[in-house]
Amino acid sequence: MAKIIIDNQEIECRDGVSALQAAVEAGWDVPHYCYHPGLSVVASCRLCLMEMKMPHPQTKEMGWAPKLMPSCQTPVREGMEIRFNTDKVKTNQENCMEFFLLNHPLDCPVCDQAGECHLQDYSYKFGKAESRMVDQKLKTPKKDIGPRTLLYSDRCVMCTRCVRFTDEISGSHELTLVNRGSRLEIDVFPGLPLDNPMQGNVVDICPVGCLLDKDFLFKRRVWELKRGESVCPGCARGCSISIDHVDEKVYRLKPRFNPEVNDWWMCDEGRFGYDYIHDKKRISSPLVRRGLEQTTPNWEDVPAVLRYRFEQFVSEQGGAKVVAVLSPFMANEEAWLLAKFIRDVAPEASLAMGPVPYEGEDQSFPAKASGDDVKFTILKEKAPNRKGIESLLESLGGSVLTYEQFIEKTGAGDITAAWVVGGYPKPWVEKDVAKIASKFELLVAQDIFENEFTAKADIVLPACAWAEREGSFTNADGLTQPFQWAIVPPDGARRDGQYLFEIAGETGLFSAARVREMMAKTVPNLSKVHESPARPVHAH
Amino acid sequence: MASFEPVLLRNRGVEGSTTLKVYESRGGYQAVRKALKQTPDEIVAEVKKANLRGRGGAGFPAGVKWGFLPKDRKKTLLCVNGDESEPPTFCNRVLMENDPHQLIEGTIIAAYAVQAQTVYIYLRGEFHEQFHILQKAVDQAYAAGYLGKKVFGSDFSIEMYLHRGAGAYVCGEETGLIESLEGKRGWPRIKPPFPAIEGAFRLPTVVNNVETLSCVPHIIERGADWFTGIGPAHSAGPKLFCVSGPVKNPGCYEGAMDFTVRDLIEREDLGGGMMDGKHIKAVFPGGCSMGVLSADELDMKLDFDDPRNFGLLGLGTAAAVVIPHDMDMRIVLRNMARFYGTESCGQCTQCREGTAWMHKIATRIAADAGRPEDLDILLETARNMGMMPGLSICGLPDGATFPIETIVKKFRSELDESILAQPRGRAEDLLKVLN
Repeated sequence: MAKIIIDNQEIECRDGVSALQAAVEAGWDVPHYCYHPGLSVVASCRLCLMEMKMPHPQTKEMGWAPKLMPSCQTPVREGMEIRFNTDKVKTNQENCMEFFLLNHPLDCPVCDQAGECHLQDYSYKFGKAESRMVDQKLKTPKKDIGPRTLLYSDRCVMCTRCVRFTDEISGSHELTLVNRGSRLEIDVFPGLPLDNPMQGNVVDICPVGCLLDKDFLFKRRVWELKRGESVCPGCARGCSISIDHVDEKVYRLKPRFNPEVNDWWMCDEGRFGYDYIHDKKRISSPLVRRGLEQTTPNWEDVPAVLRYRFEQFVSEQGGAKVVAVLSPFMANEEAWLLAKFIRDVAPEASLAMGPVPYEGEDQSFPAKASGDDVKFTILKEKAPNRKGIESLLESLGGSVLTYEQFIEKTGAGDITAAWVVGGYPKPWVEKDVAKIASKFELLVAQDIFENEFTAKADIVLPACAWAEREGSFTNADGLTQPFQWAIVPPDGARRDGQYLFEIAGETGLFSAARVREMMAKTVPNLSKVHESPARPVHAH
Repeated sequence: MASFEPVLLRNRGVEGSTTLKVYESRGGYQAVRKALKQTPDEIVAEVKKANLRGRGGAGFPAGVKWGFLPKDRKKTLLCVNGDESEPPTFCNRVLMENDPHQLIEGTIIAAYAVQAQTVYIYLRGEFHEQFHILQKAVDQAYAAGYLGKKVFGSDFSIEMYLHRGAGAYVCGEETGLIESLEGKRGWPRIKPPFPAIEGAFRLPTVVNNVETLSCVPHIIERGADWFTGIGPAHSAGPKLFCVSGPVKNPGCYEGAMDFTVRDLIEREDLGGGMMDGKHIKAVFPGGCSMGVLSADELDMKLDFDDPRNFGLLGLGTAAAVVIPHDMDMRIVLRNMARFYGTESCGQCTQCREGTAWMHKIATRIAADAGRPEDLDILLETARNMGMMPGLSICGLPDGATFPIETIVKKFRSELDESILAQPRGRAEDLLKVLN
């Protein structure tokens, strides 16, 4: 920890960071556009300039340097003295803000970024109320630069973050600069659109409304959105994300800084993979079948019905014929509650894990990077919690089956009662597996969408999407991360955690933290979760 | 005043001066033979002693620049800055056109002094003819064994490449030049690291101007004392001066840095006086970027230090352009603003937006639609863009603001009069159309 003095206040900061980073972490609001902690430093926006004490070139006496220094480019040194609260610094900030707005169209009322725009924020805080430019503004075009992204170059502040992102993180080099001086524009090369699996990040890191997400374009004003902290279920990587939602509808997903997993980034697959939450075909209420008769029970009756059915089955046929198939899309807490219930009614019952979907190969970025140069990875394992479920099965012990053994034993008639959990966003029951669905005497299917299991099930329970649940996922590296619910389940449905809690014999409201406390004895390694740093280590 | 015996331009006008044969017959490639017998440190010391200040504009001592290289470096590059894009300047061009071998000889000595085995001569994109002349000279030098492996029978090897830019003012800035040389956009780099530590291709790099390197053979041949004997102590050695505009003899002249702007324009052996019927109204004495002098400031000495006393940025390239009495200063203002508006690289905010804004204001003033407050806005913009010490990565905004500021300050009354003499309501009408 280095000690430095900012505006006559001594602060402690991390070694090796820039003066800007140190100031921002210590609570100073230093305006900046081009600086992003995840990208290289170009020091071109000249907004973060500071005054610094330096030895005089001849006399070696310490004094304030006549020149303003870029704080983003200057690393902290023990005993360094800098200041931001002087007229010189403030005048520069004010002038810069005037320059930024010279050719800006000031179209905030129709701009998606308005409300989270750093041109707005900094203009209010550091800028002038009026522009002195009376001449015609330079008009640069709006461009469609890729299948998911638009570029309104007239709003650009030329921070070149997006260009550096495609050069340094995604390694795909699609974006470039054309022209010179104030006619400078960000552009793509002719015929080569911005189309890489991580391109959505350029919209996040754009400090103004220049890069826009077509998926979110004109849908909502950002100040109406509420933000829920969550973990991406797209692959086993488990990126920290936030869910921006309002009126129980998810509008967009944004990455949340987490140095252990995803830094500042997320992939497009995760970012745009939330559509299924609002699918009209989702199962939204429980269903009980008795022969040809179908009824929708009250949620209050569901725990009793399930317990009665399983207890009856066990007393008739024995607990060894019972299995619970846990899904890699379940949270650890939900899986533990279900396992607890099954082992409660039938201590000799088996546990299994459903199939883990794999797609393609692992992709790392920038392409061809290896070792420490890898900035981001998208895994081929497209489920968030395989590791957690496996760890749970191992800790709980007893009879554990693989998914294949479960199918085989069911086919052979050794298993006749099952609770099968799905929750996959895509169809997951393979054709040959579908045949066994009719072999059960008691089948409980818990899933988001209808499939062969839910069609034959005696009891169907609606599963919720991850945005509606809370719990924790254990990612491919074994990191257990908690996620919160952002929206409520569709009408008629209940959170999986809540009904599993009740089915497992508990009363009251389900809370993941409470369940983790209960798990501490049997599954200690899953009862501790990793919280990403509450305070972001960068301003924007 | 005794006429100056040209050193740098001694081969100008000699038939076949671009050929190796003629150059050698006039004493060429003797200095390099002498230099190769000395140690590199001796040459650096000699150039330091001669106080050879960089001719590219900033006037930084070349020997000191060479001394910044790290001692334990493995490989060093030498870049020759032949970008020469300062508006009225053409001294490097004259050197390359008339005496390419002098440049090559100076470059070999400098490369030996800094132990650079690779040399890039960076030429402006528009230098077509000069490129071919220089390339021919380089080919001749290779054929004669003066370039390549073990030059002049010594252990020193040197490879020389010509690189042509695409024509951008900012590529004359040394780190802009390095970026351009690497094949990137010519955007000046943030410093540190300075090029001497990490320059082109991440290697220690020295960048020197064509004229600076052309002085080197003469320093080696005749000694540092001869060099410091020319001109005042702080601005030693021969220097090329360009003069253009409505003078009788526009062109490139060589002299010691001991005469004034008035001499450069009036003296018979230099500019030869104004054309008939023209009087001096203003002079840009050191390339446009250094700022303007009014007619009563012509006693400024053309050396590295005196221009600061007249509110100018420096000597610059010592290329004077004379503005005659019948030229409207508003047109001059617009021209200046336009140049920097189009040549700003666009990296730093102040320069990118400020130059374009000043161009817009100057254009409007020149189109008879100025407002009295526009001149104050111009001055304030110039200040906000960060005049010495700068706010930006490179020195371009300094160069962009000095001409504007000095024109507005020194010709304020004329500009004010022109604005007041405009047709009434024209500014308002134009602004209504624009907004």
